[in-house]
Amino acid sequence: MDVVARSPVLTVDGVRKAFGHGPPWRRRRVEVLRGASLEVGPGELVGLVGENGSGKSTLMQVIVGLLARDGGTMTVPERLGYCPQQPLLWDKLTVAEHFELFATAYGMAAEQAVAARDGLLDELGFGRYLGYRVEELSGGTRQKLNLALALMHDPQLLLLDEPYAGFDWETYQRFWEMAERRRADGMGVLIVSHLLAERERLTRIYELRDGRCEAL
Amino acid sequence: MTRTVVFAREQLRASFTLALLVAIPALFVVSAARVLSDFASALGGSLAGDAAVALSAGWAAAFVSGALGFFQAASSRGADRRLALAGLGPARVAASRIAASVLLAVVAAAAAFAALVLRVEVAHPWHAAVAVIAFALLYLAIGVLVGAVIAAPLEGSLLVVFVFLLDAFGGPGMSGGSAPPWAISQKAADILIAAGMGAGSPTGDWVKLALVTVGALAASFCVFVASARSRA
Repeated sequence: MDVVARSPVLTVDGVRKAFGHGPPWRRRRVEVLRGASLEVGPGELVGLVGENGSGKSTLMQVIVGLLARDGGTMTVPERLGYCPQQPLLWDKLTVAEHFELFATAYGMAAEQAVAARDGLLDELGFGRYLGYRVEELSGGTRQKLNLALALMHDPQLLLLDEPYAGFDWETYQRFWEMAERRRADGMGVLIVSHLLAERERLTRIYELRDGRCEAL
Repeated sequence: MTRTVVFAREQLRASFTLALLVAIPALFVVSAARVLSDFASALGGSLAGDAAVALSAGWAAAFVSGALGFFQAASSRGADRRLALAGLGPARVAASRIAASVLLAVVAAAAAFAALVLRVEVAHPWHAAVAVIAFALLYLAIGVLVGAVIAAPLEGSLLVVFVFLLDAFGGPGMSGGSAPPWAISQKAADILIAAGMGAGSPTGDWVKLALVTVGALAASFCVFVASARSRA
């Protein structure tokens, strides 16, 4: 039982990814990931840092399945929450409609979805925007919605790509408190950022350099 | 069903979309028929009178549906992909997208057809209605295909208009020669012109139109599936 509890919720082993640039007759392949490996256990808050262009977002997109990998292996849990760097939302739909669509996608029952939605609106403090369209929201509130959609099905692993861009100080603090609560409940959290100021909160930090992850 | 309605609502919330969906087809039918027959006679074609009015309804529905298809495909790729990843899967996201697009295309076609029957007496109204819807669905597919390749609104819209112009001026009745083989709307135009002139259409034309329309919708579905899938 103890072994099961400690087994990682995310294992990335030797993942490779390259992109082709330029026209077909002058195609140039750029290797972004050259065998990246990392691990996140349940209840761990793990950071992934690296310079701009080091491949952090690429690795995140490979883990979540937005990009196909060229090589390597991965194990990911069934319930995965993904908060992308740029909010992937529909400008003309309301906050409530976003929650409805994602509740269907996650296979949640109606009451369960409403309870999760209301809890997140309260926790992140943007309940009054429920009827607003995304195009009417500030950047910070969009980011809150982006994060709430990743959390509403109570994932086993939460992947956060530069999650607090656009947050004010109060929301930033609230974000970390929320991350700590989720971690205490046993959720594994991987945070990607070019700058992690809250290092003391993290279980472990990896640096992505030359396409590989190094534990700091 | 809920997703389809939400996606359709998303499109209709864009400024003026609902107004344009109805106004453009109606205005086009009212104003473009004479222009079409003038162009046809200049190009050596035979299009004139009620046949020109009937054909203008098809082109009106096509124009609006092409633009709608383009924006459906180009504007929501990232969010659709995220929704598919969240557990819905590319096929179900694509099915909702195509259903929402078809719903809007049918609204545009209905507006064009209503303008047509108000303007002239059509001897075969059901033939005309089916042909106008086919025009809308064919151009919906063209818009979706363009939107899959080009995301930029200006360039994408221009390409849809370019295809529209090539197809319109190379189509039946517009020039002395026969329509080029790549004229996707040829059979829809043939049926619509015949309906406008009070004639029926041979079974072969209906079969070909059905095949082209189903093929176009299948291609649109595949494009939406590909857009909602992981990238290589």
